Amino acid sequence: MPVLEARGIAKTLGAGRAQRRILDGVDLEVQAGEVVAVLGRSGSGKSTLLHLLGGLDSPDAGRIVLAGQELTAQTPRALAKMRLRHVGFVFQSFHLIEELSGEENVLLPARLPGAGRDGERRARRLISELGLSEIAGRRPHELSGGEQQRLAIARALVNDPELVLADEPTGNLDRENGATVLALLRNLRRRAVVIVTHEPEAAAIADRVLHLQDGRLLADDGRLSAEGARLRTARVLRESA
Amino acid sequence: MTGLGIALAAAMLVAALVVSDSLGLGFDRAAHAAHLPDVIVRFDLQDTARVRERIAALPDVAAYTVRQEVTGAGFETAGNFADNGAVEIVGRGRRGYAIVGGRDVSGRPGEVVVERGLAAAWGLKLGGTLDIDGLGDERIVGFSESPDNVSYPLAVPRVYVSEAAVYGAGRAPRVNLADIWLRDPRNLDEVLVQARSTSYGLRGVRFVTRSGVRVLLDQAAGIVIDLLVALSLIALATAAAMLAASARAEVQRRLRGIGVRRAVGASRGYLVSVQALEAAFVAAPAATIGALGGLLATYGPTTRLLVLLNEPAPGSALAPALAGAWLGAVAIPVLAAAWPAWRAAGRPPVALLRGAELSGGARGRARSGRGPAIPRAGLTVLGARLAGAHRVRLVATAATLGFSTAFVLLMLALASALSSLETDPGALGRRYQLTANLPASAAAHVRSIAGVQAAAPRYEAGAVDSFSLGETIDVIAYPGDHTIFEAPPLVSGARLHGAHEAEVGLGLAQALGLTPGSTLAIELASGPELRLRVAGVVSSLDHDGRIAYVPAQAMLAADPGTADGAQLAVRLKPGASASAVSAALGPSATPATGAVGRGVPLVAVLRSILRAVAIVDGLVCLYALIQACALIVQERRRTVSVLRAFGAGPSAVRRLLSGAVIALVAPAALLGILLERALLGPALAHLAASYVTLSLGASGTEIAVVLAGLVLAGAVAVAWVARQIARESVIAGLGAS
Ligand SMILES: Nc1ncnc2c1ncn2[C@@H]1O[C@H](COP(=O)(O)OP(=O)(O)OP(=O)(O)O)[C@@H](O)[C@H]1O
Ligand SMILES: [Mg+2]
Repeated sequence: MPVLEARGIAKTLGAGRAQRRILDGVDLEVQAGEVVAVLGRSGSGKSTLLHLLGGLDSPDAGRIVLAGQELTAQTPRALAKMRLRHVGFVFQSFHLIEELSGEENVLLPARLPGAGRDGERRARRLISELGLSEIAGRRPHELSGGEQQRLAIARALVNDPELVLADEPTGNLDRENGATVLALLRNLRRRAVVIVTHEPEAAAIADRVLHLQDGRLLADDGRLSAEGARLRTARVLRESA
Repeated sequence: MTGLGIALAAAMLVAALVVSDSLGLGFDRAAHAAHLPDVIVRFDLQDTARVRERIAALPDVAAYTVRQEVTGAGFETAGNFADNGAVEIVGRGRRGYAIVGGRDVSGRPGEVVVERGLAAAWGLKLGGTLDIDGLGDERIVGFSESPDNVSYPLAVPRVYVSEAAVYGAGRAPRVNLADIWLRDPRNLDEVLVQARSTSYGLRGVRFVTRSGVRVLLDQAAGIVIDLLVALSLIALATAAAMLAASARAEVQRRLRGIGVRRAVGASRGYLVSVQALEAAFVAAPAATIGALGGLLATYGPTTRLLVLLNEPAPGSALAPALAGAWLGAVAIPVLAAAWPAWRAAGRPPVALLRGAELSGGARGRARSGRGPAIPRAGLTVLGARLAGAHRVRLVATAATLGFSTAFVLLMLALASALSSLETDPGALGRRYQLTANLPASAAAHVRSIAGVQAAAPRYEAGAVDSFSLGETIDVIAYPGDHTIFEAPPLVSGARLHGAHEAEVGLGLAQALGLTPGSTLAIELASGPELRLRVAGVVSSLDHDGRIAYVPAQAMLAADPGTADGAQLAVRLKPGASASAVSAALGPSATPATGAVGRGVPLVAVLRSILRAVAIVDGLVCLYALIQACALIVQERRRTVSVLRAFGAGPSAVRRLLSGAVIALVAPAALLGILLERALLGPALAHLAASYVTLSLGASGTEIAVVLAGLVLAGAVAVAWVARQIARESVIAGLGAS
């Protein structure tokens, strides 16, 4: 069973003359352990798609099933709980909280009401695994972009989510730091990862590359994505075994 | 939200203005309107020609009128009655009162001008009738106002009829009052000396000077005016602080925008003027609405108070001040917006784009190295830290809120002090419950009535001080120990002993510079002088503290006539029934009034003004809290959105907000309580000290009430802002800078 399954997603943004159908029938399936890269031109709707997949927004049509639960049918409160348990976000501009140290930032999702119990232990492990022990006590403005993004990744993982959504995770980083971050995302075992980007380097680490174009997702060879996904599944399972 | 703040602040500003302007300048306005004479001389009835001759002989007299004043007249209308009225029979020449409705008496019979306070209290209308004992039904043709005394019901009811109406074509053959206007009021002292020497042969002469009238008015209304003016000033400061704070916050929110515009080359002056214009755009309508609200809330009660003081409502005289207040309510936010914008625009655009704080360098100084401990208590602590991130702002907001809190506390303390004065005779040190119009000889009999603990004659007489003219003094005497019946608290010295000592009220002591050991020299209204050694100073609100307790022997020796007016003061045994004793005493018994027997309407009006001011201030407090809370979230909108993206639900958001509110409210509450107890309360009590010792420190209950109010306001703020957040999409918040 896929961790994430989206069918026929449509989304219209804006009002009046500025109204535009950004997504128009997107289908997507992501398995555990699979890294999917979504490429697209600026303004093609990549961020919009990611927001829908993570339950930050709801589609006008179609359905999204995450970890066996249908997102589209949830109340805002239940959606928040879904995000807490099953989704980890990594943003282009890191979005670390200025008032908190790096370590506190990582711990934050684990301290939210309703979070699982192991958060604190996992936070420490993540910090040391990601090589952040030295800098975890500092505040975000005292850190480099790469360090901030690594902290953000640790924060996204602290509640052990099945799905990690990364919106241009390397957009604000130089090549070297970008490579480190991509390697980290590549090696998230057992998790489903969706990376949205317009950088080909990011696409290189993915199991599967999809293109967002005219509101639809197309596989590398131009065929509709769902078919491509099925073809790749066997290889992914073989690799992760 | 900013508009609401400006509206509220404008309301406070105007409320303060109406009260302080009306009351503070009322006397001068009234004196001017009424053409108040420099000296009013009262004496026993004298031949008119002889009086005129004497006055004409005085130096520097610009004008004068003489008239007859009949006291103890009976007035009656359909529903009201008074038997202590004063009828002034006016002739030609200046009047010394202003006509504030209708017209003056014309000289035709059957017309009367009624003092406005009396008209207001009895609901008299122009064209209506007033039945005056001895004159019959008179048609009311006008309403008058003269600040030479307060008006009914604080003083006796007063009306004016024309000389011609009473004496036909002739003049009054005998008069007992003269109004004198001087060419140069600075010569007053000299004129008075002359007047005293030429008044030889006139009996019972009493002078009232313009400054004496002031003293008299201060006696009646001084405490009220002082208190209100002080309250208004505090309100003013709070309002200004709030206006400035909210305008500054607005600029803070736009720092990045300013940075961008600077980066693309906008001039500093341009940015500042844009900011100022925008502020003015919000402030102008808000200030208008607020000013109208403040005016409506306080104008009515203040005007009612002014009627009692025989002073005119400010009316259009208030217009320039109101315009000033409106301008202020607009100018303060405009300046408060322009100034930080000016400062911000002067800094490198890069710093602004990075979102540097207005307070300057806060980020640079941020604690570095090992961060603080991980927040064990979680979200509440995080909320508090978010609030604390802008330390300057937090301090400013907490200070404003603290001031508001202190102000509310002060008003509660004042209200309870006033109501205890009004309802509890004991608050004045009065220990008798009943008085009876019985001769002193009946005391022994009264003492034998069941339930009576003590009874003694109580003598009371009016007097003036022998030195400075115009200090009217209430002289009270008991045979023996007066503290059985009246025991106003001693401020200094000791209780009186023997026949040659007196206790004086604090008000009188301050007016005459008396201390224990000095000599009190007073002239009883009937003429004789009394000289006594001051044994102690007591605090009493009666007659605004211009009161003297003297031994009955001394008083009766000076003027045996005072014995006629004596009443029996009756003190009951604890638990005895006042009505049973009252019944046994017969119809002559009346219950002793509370502190302010004659001042009750004054206190009631004062309370309604306080209430109006308190409501406005309470709203301001709530507003400041909600706004501070909203600001914290506004500025940390992204933070809250990040939390929400990671799955923080509504309850988590509320906990976060609660933390922020606690960080704000806890120091504010502490500050407010300290401020009231250590500063405002004592300061106000000190202002009132010439009248009475008021304890204006807030009590435990009052503090608890205010704390509960703050908690409630905080909860409202949290709920309101949480709702706002829930409505906003997480994505929009993440995009926000
Ligand atoms: N709230 C909104 N109202 C109207 N239009 C919007 C809104 N948000 C986004 N859009 C439009 O939707 C389109 C897709 O936006 P989106 O942010 O998903 O693009 P993107 O692919 O992530 O672009 P980029 O690579 O630049 O981040 C854009 O054309 C954008 O202008
Ligand atoms: Mg995007």
